[in-house]
Amino acid sequence: MKKQCYFSQHNIKFIDYKDTEILRKFLNPHGRVLSRKRTGIAAKYQRQLAVAVKRARFMGLLPYVAK
Amino acid sequence: MEDTNKDDRLAVYEIGYLVAGSVAEEKVSEEAEKVKGIITNAGSSIIVDEAPHLENLAYTMRVKMVSGSYEKYDKAYFGWVKFEVSSSIVESIKKSVELMPTILRMILLSTTKENTYLGKRASQIADAAAPKRTVDAAPIVVAGVGALPDNTKDAAPATIEEMDKSIDDMVKEVK
Repeated sequence: MKKQCYFSQHNIKFIDYKDTEILRKFLNPHGRVLSRKRTGIAAKYQRQLAVAVKRARFMGLLPYVAK
Repeated sequence: MEDTNKDDRLAVYEIGYLVAGSVAEEKVSEEAEKVKGIITNAGSSIIVDEAPHLENLAYTMRVKMVSGSYEKYDKAYFGWVKFEVSSSIVESIKKSVELMPTILRMILLSTTKENTYLGKRASQIADAAAPKRTVDAAPIVVAGVGALPDNTKDAAPATIEEMDKSIDDMVKEVK
């Protein structure tokens, strides 16, 4: 069955780097961004997500590498 | 002429900054005011801002001091300001915020006037959408015995004594 986009479902238009609780849902235990195949989100939001995660990492809100 | 018009176009930006964790908690609000002062003095209008709050950093940040040694930070105060300013001025704002001695790190990004930060709503959404771990309701099938009928679940003994009694009864029946 096809997954529905998480961000469209919750009516989130912009992914903010400060919303780390949401961003964490799309990271694996090592802190890497999950592939679109696993996240099931729209391409538009997957791109936004990648940028937001990189910004959050730079500001120390998310890890670059987690053990 | 067109190029100069483009440069002076009003746009919405956001500055996120980390105030070093070594700064006393009482003085953090002063640092936030300084950042806001730089922005407003440049002729921009602040749309929204959040006061810096202490945050555990995801990794240790190192800052090179004038002496050549490094200072390490595991905690910092994270705050942000969203403001509207002409695109030609924003670079000077960035440079002056970066030069503040107590600012550990900062990020400048172009954003929209709409509220993009979910804040407390984010945790509600994250909790609501968390995958629910449901226990499989299917009955356990032991090889060779087959599934127990539903009415046996109610009849199952609750205490150890009752269990011993039922086992004894079963052994007697076999004999």
